[in-house]
Amino acid sequence: MSDAASAIIPPTKSRNLRACLLCSIIQTSADFRSIGCPNCEEILQLKDNPDRILACTTSYFDGMIALIDPETSWVARWQRTAKYARGMYAARVKGRVPEDVEAELDSRGIKYRPRDQSDQD
Amino acid sequence: MSDIEDPHSSPPRRKLYDDSEDEEEESEVEEPGKKKPKRRHKRDALSRFLDIEAEVSDEEEEEDPDSDFGVDGFITKETDAHDGEDDDEGEFDDGRHHARVDKQRRQAEGSGGEKSAEEIARELADRYGRAGGGRRFTGEMSEIPQRLLMPSVHDASLWQVRVKPGREREIVFSLMRKSLDLEYTAKPLSILSAFQRDSLPGMIYVEARSSQQVSQACAGLVGVYPSRGIHLVPIDEMALLLLIKKVDAGDKVVPGTWVRLKRGKYAGDLAQVVDVTENGDEVGVRFVPRVDLNPREDDGPGGRKRKKGAPTTNSNSSARPPQRLFNYEEVIKVYGRNTVSKRGPVFVFLSDTYKDGFIEKDIKLNSIILEDVNPTLDEITMFSRNPDSNLSLEDGMVDLSIIAEASRKAALAVLQPGDHIEVFQGEQSGVHGIVQEIQGETLTITALGVDLEGQKIDLPARSVRKRFKPGDHVKVMQGKNAGETGLVVSVSDSNAASERRENTVVTFISDMSMQEVSVFSKDLREAAEVGNTTNVVGEYELHDLVQLDPQTVGVIYKTQLDSFLILTQHSQSRLVRPHQISLRKDKKDSLRAIATDRDSHEIRVGDMMKEFDGEQRKGRVLHIHQSHYAFLHNRDIAENGGVFVTRARSLVSINPKGALGSTGSKLPPGADLTKMNPASAGGASTGSLVGSTIGRGPRDHLIGAHVVVIKGPHKGYVGIVKDTNGVGLTGVARVELNTGNKVISIEKGKLHRKLPDGRTEPVEGPGATWGRNNSMGPPSSNRASGWGNNNNSGSRTPGWSGGRTPGGAGGRTPGWGNRTPFGAGGGGGGGRTPNPYASGGNHTPAWAPSSKTPNPYAANGGHTPAWNVGSKTPNPYANGGRTPNPYANPSSGSGTSWGGATPGQSAWSTDNSNDRAAAGWGSPTPADAGNGIGGWDAEIPSGTWSAPTPAFAATPSSPGFAPTPAIPSTPAGLGTTPGSYPNSNPNSYLYAYSNYPTDYSAPTPASAQSVYAAPTPGMGRRGEYDIDMRDEFHPPPTWLLSAHLLHHLPSLRIRILGTKHSNPPYLDGKYESLDAHILAASRVADNFEQTALIRLDLDKSPFANPATVDALKQEPSLERSFLTTYLHPVPPSSQDDSAIVLTGPRKGEKVKLRQRPDSGSQTELVVVETMLDSGGGSADGDGADGAGKAGGAFWECQKDWMCACW
Repeated sequence: MSDAASAIIPPTKSRNLRACLLCSIIQTSADFRSIGCPNCEEILQLKDNPDRILACTTSYFDGMIALIDPETSWVARWQRTAKYARGMYAARVKGRVPEDVEAELDSRGIKYRPRDQSDQD
Repeated sequence: MSDIEDPHSSPPRRKLYDDSEDEEEESEVEEPGKKKPKRRHKRDALSRFLDIEAEVSDEEEEEDPDSDFGVDGFITKETDAHDGEDDDEGEFDDGRHHARVDKQRRQAEGSGGEKSAEEIARELADRYGRAGGGRRFTGEMSEIPQRLLMPSVHDASLWQVRVKPGREREIVFSLMRKSLDLEYTAKPLSILSAFQRDSLPGMIYVEARSSQQVSQACAGLVGVYPSRGIHLVPIDEMALLLLIKKVDAGDKVVPGTWVRLKRGKYAGDLAQVVDVTENGDEVGVRFVPRVDLNPREDDGPGGRKRKKGAPTTNSNSSARPPQRLFNYEEVIKVYGRNTVSKRGPVFVFLSDTYKDGFIEKDIKLNSIILEDVNPTLDEITMFSRNPDSNLSLEDGMVDLSIIAEASRKAALAVLQPGDHIEVFQGEQSGVHGIVQEIQGETLTITALGVDLEGQKIDLPARSVRKRFKPGDHVKVMQGKNAGETGLVVSVSDSNAASERRENTVVTFISDMSMQEVSVFSKDLREAAEVGNTTNVVGEYELHDLVQLDPQTVGVIYKTQLDSFLILTQHSQSRLVRPHQISLRKDKKDSLRAIATDRDSHEIRVGDMMKEFDGEQRKGRVLHIHQSHYAFLHNRDIAENGGVFVTRARSLVSINPKGALGSTGSKLPPGADLTKMNPASAGGASTGSLVGSTIGRGPRDHLIGAHVVVIKGPHKGYVGIVKDTNGVGLTGVARVELNTGNKVISIEKGKLHRKLPDGRTEPVEGPGATWGRNNSMGPPSSNRASGWGNNNNSGSRTPGWSGGRTPGGAGGRTPGWGNRTPFGAGGGGGGGRTPNPYASGGNHTPAWAPSSKTPNPYAANGGHTPAWNVGSKTPNPYANGGRTPNPYANPSSGSGTSWGGATPGQSAWSTDNSNDRAAAGWGSPTPADAGNGIGGWDAEIPSGTWSAPTPAFAATPSSPGFAPTPAIPSTPAGLGTTPGSYPNSNPNSYLYAYSNYPTDYSAPTPASAQSVYAAPTPGMGRRGEYDIDMRDEFHPPPTWLLSAHLLHHLPSLRIRILGTKHSNPPYLDGKYESLDAHILAASRVADNFEQTALIRLDLDKSPFANPATVDALKQEPSLERSFLTTYLHPVPPSSQDDSAIVLTGPRKGEKVKLRQRPDSGSQTELVVVETMLDSGGGSADGDGADGAGKAGGAFWECQKDWMCACW
C-alpha cells in the first residue's frame, strides 16, 4: 500500500460534503476549514478561509471514489489523483476554479483540467 | 440607512459602499473612531473579534497615538510586516499577490486575530519561504492526455459489486475506512480503490487484482451483496464508468429557466433563474415576494427591533403572506421609511434585494427544484406582469418557450396516436397532421394539407405541438383542470412570437361550468366525451351531507369541477360552490342520528326503505337529518342524481323488521327474556349490531370535568374535557390542557378525574364513582368496549354498563386468575377465568362450577360478615344470592364471565375459612396458603369499600332480569341483606340512576361491602389485559439495604413472608405474615447474612394467624433481629396510602396513591403523586396521612414497585 498521507475521511452520514475543484477530494466544509485541502492547500489556501472554500470547492459533484492506493490504482491515474493523498474523491466535480487560481496554475506552467469532464483528450 | 446596516454581518458589502456612497459611509466610519478610546478600555483580549477591522483601518488613516495598546499594536505590526514584504516581493508574482490579498481578507474577518504570533510567523514562513512545510502543488500528470491513461492489462481490474440501492456512498465510505483501519493489521485489504456513480444505483465498483480480494474487502459490510456476483468489468468499459456524465439538471440551469424553491417561506414558489454563479453552486433567481404587509403588532413600528425580529417572525408565522410584487410605497407605509433603502433601481428591504417588484436572491443549487417544475400559466403571468407601469422592463415579458423547454418531456408523454399536431420547428415547420404512431422520440404523422396530403412523415416529437382549432371539443388531461371538457373558442397561436413555441394557450368553454378555461395545448386532447368522472371536489364527495346555512342542509348529488348540485332537506336543488358550504356533516353524525320510521322502527344509514305514501319511492338511506328528514338514494331515479329527501316518518322498511335484527325494540316471539330489560326496550339506545347504534343520550357529562392524564406522553398533564367521542375506556376525549393552550385527543382510559380534594379516580370503568355515574350521559357507554362479547344479552342494560361496577376492575383479573392456584375449592374453573370472555357462550364450563360454589361459602364462611368483606369476589353473589341475577343469567355472556371467576374466588375463600376465618378478613395470605402470590391481602382496600358506589347499585338492580334459572341455584345466604338490592327500579336504568343513592342510603353493610368488594373478574375490560403482562417485581433479598431507602426505613411497612418455606422453617415460622416496623438495618459484610432489627406490629398484621398473634403477645419484646430475606415490602393497598418507591427511575421517592388499586394484580399501574417532602415518614400507623406534602407530579407506578408506609 502506498505511504501517501491520508486525508480525513468524512463521516459516512455527513452532510456539507464538498469537493475540491482542483483535486476533487471530498471533505466536509469543516475539514476544509480546519486543515484545508490536503493536496492543493499550497495553491488554494482554503484553511480558515470560508470564502475561499466556497469559491474553490463545491457540493455539486457526482460519484465517490474511495482512493485507497493512489500510487498503483488505475482509477487514481485516470482521475489524475495518483500523487494525491488517500481519501475520498469525486468522480466528477462541477465548476471551475476561480480565475486567479487558473492564472496561478498557468504561471507555474501547470495545465488546468477542470474536473467536470468538459475537456477530454 | 447607516445605522441599520449591521457592521458585523457583511464586510464585503461595506467595501462596496465605500466606493459608491462615500458621504454616508464616511460619517459612519467616523463614529466608531470617536467612540474608540472608551471602547478600548472596556475590551479585553478575548472580545476583540470583529471590531478590529474598523480599528485597523482607523489607525492607518489617523495614526492614532493609542496604537501601543497591546492588541492593536500587535495587529498593526502584523500589517506592517505585510506591507514590507509586499514591497520586496513585488506585484508580478500573481500567486503571491493573491495570497496576500487572501491573507489580508482573512485578517479583515478577524480570524487572523485569534492566532498567536508564532503561528502567524510559521504560516508566513510556510507561505513565503517555500522551503519548509506544505507540498507544492504540481498538478502532475495533468499534461498527459486522457487517452494515454486508458487502462492496460497490467492494471488491476474493476469489479462490479451489487449493493443495496441508496447505500452506495455509504459502502464506498465504509470500504475506505475499513482499508485504513486494517492497513497495519495482519490482513490488510488489498483493494486499490472503490467507487460509486450516482447514475448507477445499486452497484459499486472495486478496483482489485482479484475477485477474491474484492469479496474479502466486502465481507461483513452491511448492504453489500457479494452473493449476487462480483463481475469483472471489461477493460474497455472501465474508463466509461468514470466518464459517465450524469444528465444533471444543474447543467440545464441557464438564465431564464424556471425553478421552484424548496425551502422556507417561499417553498414551492416558482422562480426564474437570473444568473448562475461561476462554480455552479448558486444561482441567482427572482421570484414574487411574499412581504408581510400585516405584520404582528408586537414588533412595534419600524426601527431596529423590527429589523432583528422580522426574519424570525416571518418564518415562524404559519400562514405565509400572499405573493405580491414588491411595492415600495406600501412597504414603507407598514414598515417605515428606514427599513427600505434604495440603490439605483434596487430596493433593499430586510436584507433582501428587490428589483422590479421581484425579490432577487442567490440560492444554492440544492435548495431549488429543477425537475418537474411545470409552471402554470397563472404563475408565469405573475412574472410577466409589469409592476410599475412607468418602469419599462426589458425582460418583463416572459418567453413561453422556456416553459416549453421545461415541460418538453411532459408534452411528449401526452401525445397519443390520433392527436392532431402541427410542426413548429425544423424543415417541416408549418406542416400539420395526425399522429399515426409514436416510437420513442419519433412520431409518424399523416400530413394534412394541400401539397403533402396523405404523406407519412417521420418527425422528432419535440418539434411538434398539438394543434387545436376553435370548435374542437377537447378534454384536459392534466393539471388542475384535469377532466374538464369543453369547446375550444380560441387558440393563441396567431402571432409570430408563438410560432416557435411548443405550447399554445387554448381557451375553451367548459361543458360543466360554462366558463372560459385557458390551458396549454399540451395538456389537451380532443375528446368526444362530456362529463366529469370525479366525485370528489375539494374535501366534499358525492352524497356528502353538508350544511349550507344554519337552517339548511343538503346532500351533494352531483359534483362538477368546482361546484356541486345539492338537494336540500326541502327538496330544492341548488348549485353551490365549495366556499358556500359552511360545514360538512361528519359521517359519524349521520350514523349516530336516530330516526324512526312509520312503524317506530329505527332507521339507520344504509337501510333500504320505501316511502309509505306518495310516490312510494324506494331507496337506500344516505343520511338522516335531525331525526326528521331522510335522504335516500336510488339509482333508478333520474331526477337529482337519484337522491331524494323525505320525512323519516313516512318510510317503511322494505325488509321485514325483526328478521333483519335492526330493531332493538321489537321482540321476536320467544326472544330472550333478558331483552325485556326496560332499558333496552327504550328503543333508543339498543341495537344488536355492536357499536352501530350506541344510544346518543344526553351530552356526556364528562365534558367540563377536570382530569389528569395518567398514561402516555401527556401523562401528568391536567386539563378539562372539551368533548368526548366514543364510549368506554377506549372512547376518546378531547382534553384542553391547562398548560400550553393545547387540545389533545386521548382515550378516556388514560384519564383520571381530578376530585376537589386532590384525589383522582378513573373517568370510566372501575373506580369511576358515583358522581360520575350519576351524571353519566350515555348510559350504554361501557358496553361496546367493556363487554364486547356480551352484546346480545340482557347484560347490555344501561344499568350495568352505566354502573361501571367495580367489577370493571375485573379487567385485570386474568392476572388474578392465572396467578391464583384455584384448584382447591371451585375446581379448575378459576384458571379458566379469562375464557368466558372469549367464549361469551352461555354455558361455559367455567360458569357451571360457579353455580355450585355457593355451598362452600355458605358452609364455611358465609356466616361471618367480616369474611364476606374479605372475599371481595363473586362470593357475594353466591353468598348473598342477591346479585347473581345478572350474572347467573344463563343467557348472558357476562353472566358467564362472572361465573367463570367465581371458582377462583371460592378457592380463595376456602383458604380463608380454613385458617383464619376468625380474624377480620382472615388474612388469606396466599403465600401462607402456599400459593406464592404476595398481594391479595393488600388488595383489599377497606377504605374504598366503605364508600359504596351506586355504580354498583346498577348491578344489583338488575333483578329486572329476575326470571333466570340462576337464582334458584344460589340458595345460600340470601337472607342476609334482603333490603339492600332495590328491586324497586326495574325500570329503565337511564332514569334510575338518580335513585341509587337513595337505595343505598339503607345499606346493609355486609351486602354492600361484599358486593362492593367484588372486583368482578368477569367483567373484564379487555383492553386492560395487556397491562397485566407487566413483569412482577421481585425485590432482591437485600432490598431493604439499598441506599435510596435509607432514610425511609423507619416508615416502611414490611411483612415477614416465606419463613415457613425455608427448611427448617426460620424461627419456626412463627412470625410468618406478621407486619413489622424496621428499627434499623445496615449492611454487613457480604459473607454474613443481612439482618435488620424489626419491631413486630401485632395489632396491625391483618394476615397473621391469630393464634400466632396471641402467642406472640406473651413475648417480652416485639423487637428482634430478622433476616432481611424474609422481609418483604407491603404494596400499598388503598387510595391515599403513602408508599416508598423501591425500584425504577424514581426509586426512593415517597409517593401517595391517588388511585384506588382495583385489582389483585401486583403489576397494576396506579397513579401516584410524589410527595415533595419525602423525608418525614412516621410510624404513627396512619398510612393514609403520612407526613409529606402533596403537590408533586402525578405519575404511574407499578404497585409492587412500592412499599407501603406505616
